[in-house]
Amino acid sequence: MDLTLVGQGLLSGFLFGGVYSLMAVGLTLIFGVMRVVNFAHGDMMVWGMYLAWLLSTRAGIDPYVGFIVCAAALFLFGLMIQRGLVERIVDAPHEMQILLMLGVALVLENAALVAFGPDPARVRSPLSQATVWMGPIFVDVARLVTFGLAMALTAALWLFLARTDLGRSMRAAADNPYGARVIGTDVRKVYAAAFGVGAACVGAAGALVSPILPFQPTSGLGLSVTSFNIVIIGGMGSLPGAFAGGILVSVAESMGAVFLSPSMKELVSFGLLIAILLFRPAGLFGKTAG
Amino acid sequence: MKLLILLAVAILAALPWFAGSYLITVMIFIFFYAYLGQAWNIVGGYAGQLSAGHAAFVGIGGYAAALLSAHAGISPWIGMWMGGALAAVLGAVIGYLGFRFGLRGFYFVLLTVAFAEICRVIALNVDAVGGALGLYITFTGNPRQFQFQDNRAYYYVAFALMLLATAVVRAIERHRFGAYLTAIRQDESACEALGVDTLRVKMQAMILSSFLTGVGGTFYAFYLFSLQPNAVFGIPLSVEIIIRPIVGGAGTVMGPILGSFILSPLAEISRTYFAQGGWNGLHLIVYGVLLIAVVLFLPQGAYPALLRLARRPPA
Amino acid sequence: MTQGGRARGTDRRTFLKTAGAVAGTAVAAGFPAALRAQAPTVKIGTLHCVTGPLAEPGQACRLGAQMAADAVNAAGGIKSMGGAKIELILGDTQTKADVARAEAERLINAGAQILMGTFNSGDTAAVVPVAQQRRVPFLVDISAADPITANVAKSVRDGQQKVQYVYRNFPTGTLFGQRAVQYFTEIFKEAGVSPKRVVVMHANDLFGQNQARGFQAAHKAANPSWEIVEVISWPEPPSDLSTEVSRAKAAKPDVIAPITRPASAQLLLPEIVKQRLDIMGIVGPGSPGLYEAGQIAALKENLEYVMASNPWPNFKNPRTRQVSEEYAKRSGGKTFDTNSGYSYDGIFVLADTLERAKSTDPDTVVDALKKTRFTGGLMVYGGPVIFNEMGDNPNAIPAMIQILGQKPVVVWPKDVAAEKVVFPRPKR
Repeated sequence: MDLTLVGQGLLSGFLFGGVYSLMAVGLTLIFGVMRVVNFAHGDMMVWGMYLAWLLSTRAGIDPYVGFIVCAAALFLFGLMIQRGLVERIVDAPHEMQILLMLGVALVLENAALVAFGPDPARVRSPLSQATVWMGPIFVDVARLVTFGLAMALTAALWLFLARTDLGRSMRAAADNPYGARVIGTDVRKVYAAAFGVGAACVGAAGALVSPILPFQPTSGLGLSVTSFNIVIIGGMGSLPGAFAGGILVSVAESMGAVFLSPSMKELVSFGLLIAILLFRPAGLFGKTAG
Repeated sequence: MKLLILLAVAILAALPWFAGSYLITVMIFIFFYAYLGQAWNIVGGYAGQLSAGHAAFVGIGGYAAALLSAHAGISPWIGMWMGGALAAVLGAVIGYLGFRFGLRGFYFVLLTVAFAEICRVIALNVDAVGGALGLYITFTGNPRQFQFQDNRAYYYVAFALMLLATAVVRAIERHRFGAYLTAIRQDESACEALGVDTLRVKMQAMILSSFLTGVGGTFYAFYLFSLQPNAVFGIPLSVEIIIRPIVGGAGTVMGPILGSFILSPLAEISRTYFAQGGWNGLHLIVYGVLLIAVVLFLPQGAYPALLRLARRPPA
Repeated sequence: MTQGGRARGTDRRTFLKTAGAVAGTAVAAGFPAALRAQAPTVKIGTLHCVTGPLAEPGQACRLGAQMAADAVNAAGGIKSMGGAKIELILGDTQTKADVARAEAERLINAGAQILMGTFNSGDTAAVVPVAQQRRVPFLVDISAADPITANVAKSVRDGQQKVQYVYRNFPTGTLFGQRAVQYFTEIFKEAGVSPKRVVVMHANDLFGQNQARGFQAAHKAANPSWEIVEVISWPEPPSDLSTEVSRAKAAKPDVIAPITRPASAQLLLPEIVKQRLDIMGIVGPGSPGLYEAGQIAALKENLEYVMASNPWPNFKNPRTRQVSEEYAKRSGGKTFDTNSGYSYDGIFVLADTLERAKSTDPDTVVDALKKTRFTGGLMVYGGPVIFNEMGDNPNAIPAMIQILGQKPVVVWPKDVAAEKVVFPRPKR
């Protein structure tokens, strides 16, 4: 076996894990707090990417700066969705929740198609082609930066949940909504904030990932499926889980591409998912509550 | 009220004699998706085990029948039962893994999606089953090969399938089995405490559901003549299968049928009237908004809403 | 939530609702297509995937067809039928086989006498039975999968069907492969170099796999002096191609032969640059993603000198240049290329057929179609448009195009080349 290839595969896979982690963080927060499965996750992220693209092409703002705007825009969107739609079906059967978010996903995907057209787009950033070589192995600078940002974002979110009042209320509501109400927490407001913050993460992720991944209006589904994989493997509702899960899935896929055939690399991540579901459904870092 | 059901059936049976081919095609898809939705209803609606991977069974059934017909000369009339059986085997595997390991709710959903995706990737990469090219079935119009020159014959087959599945679900509802399913859906732990073998009941539901869906796969193959891995194993098809019973009312006999009669025409109408201008995609936005509206205004499904409406005291 | 088992007393509501839905559908769909309008128009149902993952080429096809219909009508319509105008009835397959089938029926119901479409082979295959069942001539303007016409030809030969209604004016997968291998060998010879190791990298979707297989099969048959040392594929659309390119690099290629879609091309080409592959050039056996205006804008210098063997408009023809300018205007700056071009030519082929058929009767049209010898096409052809016993046009051929000066130009075969081919590509 070509050791250079394996080494490069490990390194590339590891760094790309940062991208995957970013994708998963917003999803795990929303599910962890509200137990809502956001099937529109991927499509929201695509909108984050398109907003970053707009900022880059129309206003010359680099996505590594513009992501704040994307986060803010999607925060508002998340609030709207939560207050306007999700809240109203909180007592309805699970399948209705699924249908609702599927409807939202459909609207988002085709609104993007109408607004931006069907061509794949990518944001150019000065880092796009930068590489650092260490002998026969190279480091993709853009991915290294994204990896660092993923860590930073996860850490920031962690601090938010641990140190701020709103964050602590979210964790309380996640653990025990009834108990949280009993002690006076405005659970409705907490849920809205959770969805908003989760959406903001998704928006930021989209912006930060837009120089690396070409995207089209129809990219949403693939992103959703990958994100769900990562979140289950890492543990629903766990931030370190989303981070570790992202890296694990990425490395596994990369090794699958090296040792098997690259077109079968998805089998590796799905196989991993099934294994986790069967033997440790709470995920690597999740609390065993099932 | 049995009379009214018979009347509806009679009208639908007579329809092909005075309707154009386009309307017949629309009805065929209504019946077909109602059939698939009804099959899903057994495990997803009544038993409450939401599966978002039922496309896998359609794919397996379709591929099996198509391959048996092309390579072994076995008529699809026989092949469809073999396809269904194969699908049932997969259903048993998924069911066993899921139920034995106690996966509920969203975790079970994801297990089914994972299996469907695995099937899709395998079908995409194995040349022996056509690979990404898929399978193209030759159109001969020969009824022995489950093909018909006349669209109307397909209409009756699809209609019969829908009636068959509905009869099965209706029978389940009246049998103790149906009571078990509903009980499991409402409170599985309580069921177990009462001594019900929930694993066995859920497995039976899953096997029956996947078998029927697999048989449907054969119809798909020999009506569309084209089996593409992404289309036939993919998530969009699984979504099409589940939205009709959900909209109509999961866990009710008429739910999938009503849902299909609502959604299919809606899709056709929105495509006919909104897809003409330069705004490609507008008709799907409309469709998405309609789905959201259904959830907001009919949160229990269309059929239960109708029931409530009919039970309101007059004036 | 307790439902179920209470179907009795309320079936009236359900029944009324059902009946209402059926009636409503009937009204909306229209009862049997009423009287066909007299003389003035011929209705062609134009069916493409204008939404869904293949929306971009689908929309290009639709625009090409619309422009062609306008041109035919502006020149006086179908003169042998009293100046009858062509009217396009538009359909969207949504890149789904079942929708394609329903749309085909809807278009026929709305009066379409001929069908054209659909771009995606899987959906085209779903329309074939409709054409055969309803006896409507169906011209496939773009779809490479061989079985689409081959299956129908076979069932006519076996006596299962009386008439073949499906014809295709586009290269088949087999033909793509043969021409690609031929061009590779000829270009290497012209450049005076002998690369030995070619690595094929392809998108693992319908088109990609079909092309890759056709290319490998043709290579085996022709047995040239260069080898295909590795074939690497990826699931389309990919998020990451770094490992795939690393694998390609490990195979020590002289030439990379990519078969991409626009999204994967945007990942693949910069990755090849990033990983510093030392190759003579990037020569594709034929795929999208390597020549579109949007791709050039996104990839800029990464696309320079890249070649791909694709069906292409013949820009040596002054009419082509005119049409291309108009297309750029109407599409907001896009290039007139494979997809828009073949849909454009498709309408003209149908117009020519109608001129000779002098009627819209299906069997008369099919007879006229079989006898086609059309030379007014805008694409690069190897001869006039004709249809062989499979229903395919053996003269529909690809040409090797290269991005030179950030523009796609035909560089091979020599007689249709606009510029000289540049190979190997200059070192940076």
